[in-house]
Amino acid sequence: MSPLRLVWKNIAGSAFRSWAVFLCALVVGGLLFSTVLLVRGAEDSLRLVQQRLGADVVVVPEGTGDRVETALLMGQPTKVWMPRQNLDRIGGVAGVAIASPQLYLASLANAPCCTAEMFVMAFDPQTDFTVTPWLNRHLGHNLGLAEAIGGSDVFVPYGEDKIRIYGSEIDLVGSLERTGTGLDTALFLTFDTAYAVADGSYTKAVRPLEIPPDSISAVLVQVEPNVDPRVVALQIAHDVPGVTAIPGSGLFQAFHTQAGLLSRIMAALLGTVSLLSLLLVGLTFSMAVNERRQEIGVLRALGATRRAVLHSLLVEALMLALGGGATGVLLAALVLYLFRNLIVASLMMPFRIPSVPSLLALAAGGLAVALADVALAVLLPALRASNLDPATAMRE
Amino acid sequence: MRALAILIVILAILIGVLPQFFNCQYDGKGLVLADGRQVPMKCYWTARASLAVAILLLALGLLLAFSRQQETRRALAFLGAIAGILVILLPTWLIGVCQHPGASCNLVMKPALILMGILVVVASVAGLVLSSRRPEPTA
Amino acid sequence: MIKIEAATKTYALGRGVEIAATRDVDLEVARGEFLVITGRSGAGKTTLLNLISGLTRPTSGRVLWNGMDLWALDDAHRSALRNRQLGFVFQFPSLLPSFTVLENVVLPTAFGSNRRDPNVPGQAAALLQRVGMAGRRNAYPRQLSAGQQQRVVIARALINCPEVLLADEPTGNLDAETEREIIELFGELQATGELTALMVTHAPHLVPQASRVVEMAGGVLRAGG
Repeated sequence: MSPLRLVWKNIAGSAFRSWAVFLCALVVGGLLFSTVLLVRGAEDSLRLVQQRLGADVVVVPEGTGDRVETALLMGQPTKVWMPRQNLDRIGGVAGVAIASPQLYLASLANAPCCTAEMFVMAFDPQTDFTVTPWLNRHLGHNLGLAEAIGGSDVFVPYGEDKIRIYGSEIDLVGSLERTGTGLDTALFLTFDTAYAVADGSYTKAVRPLEIPPDSISAVLVQVEPNVDPRVVALQIAHDVPGVTAIPGSGLFQAFHTQAGLLSRIMAALLGTVSLLSLLLVGLTFSMAVNERRQEIGVLRALGATRRAVLHSLLVEALMLALGGGATGVLLAALVLYLFRNLIVASLMMPFRIPSVPSLLALAAGGLAVALADVALAVLLPALRASNLDPATAMRE
Repeated sequence: MRALAILIVILAILIGVLPQFFNCQYDGKGLVLADGRQVPMKCYWTARASLAVAILLLALGLLLAFSRQQETRRALAFLGAIAGILVILLPTWLIGVCQHPGASCNLVMKPALILMGILVVVASVAGLVLSSRRPEPTA
Repeated sequence: MIKIEAATKTYALGRGVEIAATRDVDLEVARGEFLVITGRSGAGKTTLLNLISGLTRPTSGRVLWNGMDLWALDDAHRSALRNRQLGFVFQFPSLLPSFTVLENVVLPTAFGSNRRDPNVPGQAAALLQRVGMAGRRNAYPRQLSAGQQQRVVIARALINCPEVLLADEPTGNLDAETEREIIELFGELQATGELTALMVTHAPHLVPQASRVVEMAGGVLRAGG
């Protein structure tokens, strides 16, 4: 008869108490894991998008910064225009190494590929540094006419081999990796393809694609080495009227703030749940110790030391906490993984499952908090039980 | 064992009901044929099939709750696990859901069915383990 | 073997009120003796057993085991002494409900150095045979009668081959016939001469094997009964 078997039998012997501790640990572990995962996932997503854009400064028409950020992060198409000549002015600002123009368009709603408008981003292959590096790595060449690459969630409709946009057939030659943002539902094609589609839409589509002449939507800027992007952004805003220049580090500030707010709300929730859990487990264990007074007295009479009684109770609680915490973390991971798209759509926030090492670290953290919560809750009742005078304990 | 059976009954109800409200047909979206007719998309049929499996699972859960024989419980638990696997396979392989990642069938129905299918399998396996234990000796 | 010197045990009832369960008790128990302790309810019999076994600390006085002061030992040593040298039979149902009969019998070994001794299950089986419970080794306490449970408790008390068996009203909850059977069992076990037995009972006439009978009255020990 090992002490561990004794513990296991005690766990099995009281369903209510064991389930109470198990479920409290499950909730605490799962909640902590999902809280940190949500916030971390959002931050990871934002970071990935910033990396993907690769821009030190993003220049958009004045006052449209928020709309463009929402388009990039949530995939909600937006049409913003500024004069093409801004490109040359921006290129002439001191410290600018590359200035690459982009066009932001939207596909038709209820196109066969999509149930809603899709964000279409046209780029200049000569100057682009956002998509072109990926193209060179994965395709070995840039996009040709009537070719496009899509975010991870863009697909060719079943039974067809091309995507239709405004009546024109486009070859989907590749898919970018998932970012957990609107870029996953975006389509990337060259300026030439965009203009060709626009020209063809007047005869082929139910509604034409109108691109104002000599207009662009945004300019992505890379600065020269050792130049502060914030200084260049200020200079662009000064030199080029009618634009907003956002340094890369300042991109998506609203979403960073939102992630921070979510983090604080979840932390408050977690704190409350942990405290309630602590109280519930403490109370349940106190009641259990009271019920088992006589039994504990018998065990002491049979030769169990005070320390053995304390260890037995603590191990019992911690085994339940480990089981509950692990189950909570696993359940939380499963739910967040399965419902990741719903999270993005309903929270209006980017979200991406972090890498496996990060996940394991978060899981360990969730488990540790669940264990600590339970250990703290049962310490006092366990100490009281171990210090019971055996003779008094055995008296009814 | 009864608690597991009740869990299976609850999951069965959710498996049957939830997909009816999260498919493209319910959202008013269908497949338009060349002759102009609109027919339901795959996710609608997945929802229908889920209802069928759910009814089976409900019966199974109720039987498990009231059955006393070890062998019967074992058999029911085994069948429950199979039904759970079917629930997972319906939206992923057997029929599937729509391609568009923003469709409600993709956002809600598919992940929910997978999750509930997993829970059914876990509950059934637990039931299988419990019903395989040596019964207590009678007095 | 066991010596109690002027042992007094008082309990505080609150508001400065104290009650003395035993007063200046002196007692010597020789090896191999079968001592019966009688007395009315509340006379201090159970407290006396608790003092002897180290389950409660005397307010004053000493408890000596083979010349060693029990309360000069730390908790670990005192617990070890109870584990190896004492066997307990309580009046109340003391089997652990979630453990089978066999598991209850081997329970004391969980706290001793013989925890991993492969002979323990065999010894437990032999003890169950001796107390007439071999056929119920896999039963749970709730499936046994009160008398059957007490037999198992006796087997548990003997698993570590103790020197002393303490029994506190072991037949208190049993019918007359079962009571006789249990006391007969005690007599058989003690008759081997290897066991010192101390039994609290309200019916000393049922214990013809007793070598000595003492009486507790109002916390004071008197010879005879």
